[in-house]
Amino acid sequence: MLALGGLGVTAVMGFVMVFIITAWFGNPLPVLGFDQSPEQPIAFPHTAHAGSEPLLNTDGSPKLDADGNQLTGIGLDCTFCHRTVTSTNAAGIPPVETCVTCHRVIGATDSEPLTLLRTIGLGEDPGPIQWKRVHRLPDHVRFVHEPHIRFLTAAGNTDVIANRDEAAILAGTQMDGSVVAAVTCSTCHGDIKSQEQVAQVEPLKMGQCVDCHRKNNAPTDCTTCHF
Amino acid sequence: MVTAAERVSSHKWGMVVDVDRCTGCQACVMACQAENNIPLSTEDIYRQKRTFAWIRVERYWYGDFPDVKARFIPIMCQHCENAPCEPVCPVFATYHNTEGMNVQIYNRCVGTRYCANGCPYNVRFFNYWEPVWPVSLRNQLNPDVTVRSRGIMEKCSFCVQRIRRGVREAARDGHDLQDGDIGTACTDACPTNALVFGDYNDENSRVSIMAKDDRKYTLLDALNTDPNVLYLAQVDATGGAIGGHD
Repeated sequence: MLALGGLGVTAVMGFVMVFIITAWFGNPLPVLGFDQSPEQPIAFPHTAHAGSEPLLNTDGSPKLDADGNQLTGIGLDCTFCHRTVTSTNAAGIPPVETCVTCHRVIGATDSEPLTLLRTIGLGEDPGPIQWKRVHRLPDHVRFVHEPHIRFLTAAGNTDVIANRDEAAILAGTQMDGSVVAAVTCSTCHGDIKSQEQVAQVEPLKMGQCVDCHRKNNAPTDCTTCHF
Repeated sequence: MVTAAERVSSHKWGMVVDVDRCTGCQACVMACQAENNIPLSTEDIYRQKRTFAWIRVERYWYGDFPDVKARFIPIMCQHCENAPCEPVCPVFATYHNTEGMNVQIYNRCVGTRYCANGCPYNVRFFNYWEPVWPVSLRNQLNPDVTVRSRGIMEKCSFCVQRIRRGVREAARDGHDLQDGDIGTACTDACPTNALVFGDYNDENSRVSIMAKDDRKYTLLDALNTDPNVLYLAQVDATGGAIGGHD
């Protein structure tokens, strides 16, 4: 009996150790509410908006419209909705107004997420959508999108872009060698346009920031980010 | 090519306080409080002698009644080059960065309070309590500044969030940083321009020109802390200078 209790204690301690070690080196295990991919109030698919691949249902069958045609993603630029990302701190969540500009008419009327969106955006009492934040940094970190995108889009710096989509980078390269902002996002956010429900794929810990800053001769003074 | 790291360290930020211009209006104190999310110094906090003021206006009376005059000296962190607070920190939460600023890193601080004991200017403040704001003021908090929790030392940061923003926006818009582009909350609020903020490495900046003034002195000069905050002594109407170490 005593031996079994000892085994139980060892198992619990082992689990706690594994959790702490994984959380230390990367993203924590998706247990006890540490899931890096929270359910959103409206099941917004980045695949349909940012992606340009044929859409699939959850069972893997092709997604068809009412006339039986294959639906594909429309391949919007990230900055179409996240408008302030190239100019200021936050990428910005678009207002419901941006969504219903298109979805007033576009999209099936029997779709559950779109019905919910139209209720919130065009109903009796329109209001904001309470999106759950996925990429969250601690409160003592001041991250600003603008200089990072300015650096990554500049000509000659495009090698730094991580989680690359070579085809998109080639298509997004300008005459002067710079690239459009949308192909740089994958460096920290992973391949968002293939995610049905957005998850945080990079750990986004200080080590990752400092590694990149050192490699690219960016300031590493503490007050660059902590103040 | 000038790298980003070199560009950042090419500044030496500092402030010049013209005591002659200060009217003691406390606008700097209020501006600092609002800008930097400083906890409210309520009556019970005051009675504990634990009030917060990253910048304070000290008042001195000169002369005998009825020829009495009030003198004011705004005092904030002096950002000393030989800072007594820095070597005593066991975790390097406070250190001197390459831009001439004495910085406080809140997430490193473990709350030993050695630095506050070392500081001769009494400009470091310790969070003995979790800061609380009334509901009406919660949306007033500045999102660019960390809200310090209990057990953290804090002090004037030279509004480093404004320096970072100014440098960033100049780079974004593709122009060089001009003197006056960056102001701290207190210098921007000062109605008489008694407080001036700028870059000592820029020879033509207002602070560099004011630093050559004959009235220049530093607080507690004998301690050889070599502050980056300079003071210009008050000149009395009768001709004598008040303040300084003469």
